[in-house]
Amino acid sequence: MDVQEAVAEGQASVDNGEVKRDGRKQFSMGPGDILEGKLIYDGSVHADGRVEGEVRVTGNIDVATGANVKALLEGSNVLLKGQVEGMVTARDKLTLGKNARLSGDIQVRRLQIDDGATLNGHVRMGDFEHQASGQ
Amino acid sequence: MSTRRPGSRLATPVPAENGANGQPNSIVLGPNDRLVGQLYIEGDLRVTGTVDGTLEATGDIEIAGAGKVNGDVTAYNRLTVGSDASLIAGDVRVARLTVQDGATFSGKVSMGKPARKAEPKAPEPKPQPQVEPVVEPVVAQAAVAAAREPIKKGKRR
Repeated sequence: MDVQEAVAEGQASVDNGEVKRDGRKQFSMGPGDILEGKLIYDGSVHADGRVEGEVRVTGNIDVATGANVKALLEGSNVLLKGQVEGMVTARDKLTLGKNARLSGDIQVRRLQIDDGATLNGHVRMGDFEHQASGQ
Repeated sequence: MSTRRPGSRLATPVPAENGANGQPNSIVLGPNDRLVGQLYIEGDLRVTGTVDGTLEATGDIEIAGAGKVNGDVTAYNRLTVGSDASLIAGDVRVARLTVQDGATFSGKVSMGKPARKAEPKAPEPKPQPQVEPVVEPVVAQAAVAAAREPIKKGKRR
């Protein structure tokens, strides 16, 4: 429960165009990629490049250092290293890395903010059943 | 005690242990300590006890151990909330923020710009950071002079 970062170290395999790591689906973007719109995804998302709109996933979301995200984000564990503008919901844990810059309200069960991160917004903490995975 | 008080106050100038002589000040609230109300400190603050009220520090604020703070927090430099600590705030204004995993944290967070110093010190029409230390010795000297006068008069009589 504590660490689910092991996902990245698992073996990657391509199956029907989906990258799977340890049997879990992974939607992985590169620095030059652009996503605009609404993504509802049964798996985890690695966001890089530019993201605008809404991203709701059953797994984890991590936003890369150079990424520019203007979107609503919702996932189990959310790890932000880049710049994010928008509401963030972490059903388990939200981590703001030292280079993270977040402008937006957040709702989390657990929160970790590393020194150097910037946060402007409202923080709500606790269990929340009323907001499911948004599917 | 009542006989000592005037003398001891005059002998030890107030600024000496108040961080006003250029040295950073620091306050620690231990696990059994409790503060209800407002605290403004020119220096650092470490809370491992309970605070119900408003905290403002020109340096760092650290809520550590099982420390609990309910109220607005302003730290001109850094705010740290430890893994067992709790901060339930309305407004959090800080320059730097660290929240350790496990901490309880909620409130409206404002960062990035240096926290406004003007708000708590509203009655300051002109910039006078240098005036304050000057004023206090003058007051102390005036108090000394005032205290000496009655003594002399007393001797004369």
